[in-house]
Amino acid sequence: MEKNKLIEEIRDKTELMRRDCIEMGFAAGSQGAHFGPALSCVDIVATLFFSVMHHDPNNPDMPERDRFVMSKGHACMAYYAALIESGYIPKEMIPQFKGNNSILCGHPSMNMHYGIEVSTGSLGSGLPIACGMAMAAKYKNEKHKVFCVVGDGECNEGIIWEAAFNAAKYKLDNLIVVVDINDFQLSGMTAEVMPINLDALWKAAGWDVSYIDNGNDVEEVLQTLGEVKKSEGENPKVILTKTVKGKGISFMENNLAFHAAPINEEQYKQAIVDLNRAEASR
Amino acid sequence: MSKISLDILKEWSKLGHRSSLGESLVLLARERSDVVVVSPDLTTTARLVNFEKEFPDRLFNVGIAEQNMIGFTAGLAREGLMPFAVSIAAFAPMRCAEQIQNMLGYMNLNARVVGIEAGCRFGPLGNTHFAMNDLAVMRAVPNFTVICPADAHEIYKTVIAVADHKGPVHIRLTGAPGSPLLYPQDFDFEIGKAIEYRPGKDVAIIATGSVLWEGICAADILEKKGISARVIDMHTVKPIDTNILNSVFKENKLIVTVEEHNIIGGLGSAVAEYKSGFENVPKHIMCGLGDNFRKIGNYEFHLKESGLVAEDIAEIVVDRYKLLSV
Repeated sequence: MEKNKLIEEIRDKTELMRRDCIEMGFAAGSQGAHFGPALSCVDIVATLFFSVMHHDPNNPDMPERDRFVMSKGHACMAYYAALIESGYIPKEMIPQFKGNNSILCGHPSMNMHYGIEVSTGSLGSGLPIACGMAMAAKYKNEKHKVFCVVGDGECNEGIIWEAAFNAAKYKLDNLIVVVDINDFQLSGMTAEVMPINLDALWKAAGWDVSYIDNGNDVEEVLQTLGEVKKSEGENPKVILTKTVKGKGISFMENNLAFHAAPINEEQYKQAIVDLNRAEASR
Repeated sequence: MSKISLDILKEWSKLGHRSSLGESLVLLARERSDVVVVSPDLTTTARLVNFEKEFPDRLFNVGIAEQNMIGFTAGLAREGLMPFAVSIAAFAPMRCAEQIQNMLGYMNLNARVVGIEAGCRFGPLGNTHFAMNDLAVMRAVPNFTVICPADAHEIYKTVIAVADHKGPVHIRLTGAPGSPLLYPQDFDFEIGKAIEYRPGKDVAIIATGSVLWEGICAADILEKKGISARVIDMHTVKPIDTNILNSVFKENKLIVTVEEHNIIGGLGSAVAEYKSGFENVPKHIMCGLGDNFRKIGNYEFHLKESGLVAEDIAEIVVDRYKLLSV
């Protein structure tokens, strides 16, 4: 496909996904939802699902599919939105988000019928599982890749670094991690809550490090993810990706109050206005 | 899988449960290419050297990192392999209980977590190296099956049986090198089905793990004192064999549970939980480790301190049995 056309198509998907996120979060009512961390990574997840990853919504278990692990499980709305817009999850299920007996749990719960690859939610759990999946692929001589989205706050967890050392030891070159650096975690800015140098740490752990300066720009995300997927290096790969928390909704952007919060009718309407405006301005 | 010769079983018993496990895994891996082992820098300690020598690409040493060991194991299992994560019981399941619950139990993966040196066999090393409440934790993780083999032969049978079992399994290993071989002949082993080691009409001694031996010896002492003791090997603590418990409730007058575990949350608790739904059931003595941190000492010292030796078990049974007869 011609590159610009592909970029426009992915952008279309990000708009639909942001709408899905707002609809899901609004449907959750007073329980609220993790808007900020989901909206920051929509463009990353969309680029993976609508271009970079090899997968088939009509055959969710296809052995040769690329694997996707949402390690920052609280951002599940972005994941569900990608599965909805891909056709794994019917759009009619949106109102069920966080509802009684719902498949659309507040953190992903493994369900391959709907394309949910592994259960996550306890921070730090996705990366080590992704490492095991990548190791198994190498052991079985399978050629697919394992993609894993990790949060910047999530990198506080010790298990992330246990997994990072281990992935480098076993040269899991089929593992590609995207760190969503939206600069916030639950109680404040990551730079204040736990000031760590992610760039230095991933390098020291033995990973090949790439960067995306604007992780909400599909063109840049596509360019870098595509290059990293094709790259031949023997080490596991991590892409440090700068994003904006709550991206796309005016009152949520860089606003810690919407890390996890309910929205009222008025805020919902404002969010729709913001999304309509963004669509009209393209 | 082939039967194991008596000579090999005797050798394994002499070497201890770690070697019984390590050698059983070698035999299993020869038959099954999906069997892999994950070790947190315990390849030597857990007697996995022979496994690593024969299957270098199937033993993953993840370094001293038990949490990641479980996550890595989950990923291997998610992709259809049959991983055994082997650590010292004080560290797995105890250190990584949350990962075991969320990564293995929640996804109902075909992974096996093996805790070696459970209980207090690491006596002189102190409380950080004891696993006294691992059954309490693992019994309460949904989807998990929990098995405590009693001797070298039962360890082998367990390893073979879990390879064909669906869902996650915790294997808890206790006992010192030189523990007696309780099953010298081939025997039927089925997960969830207790073994009636010997019949008896008065008392039912229900044991799990290597202290089954103490229960058997206690039964010998009781026999001499005119009390007939049935001995049951409750190798699977979860799901507990309710059929055999039903027969105990009907046929025996006193229940004695024997385990190298805190009396809170282990085999005794499992039996009591099931028993609580019935009326007119036998009284129950729980023999186990006390709910306290321990002084250091060798294994014999610890077992004696907790009354987990045949003489003490027999004595408490005799005292209690007298009261029943009054």
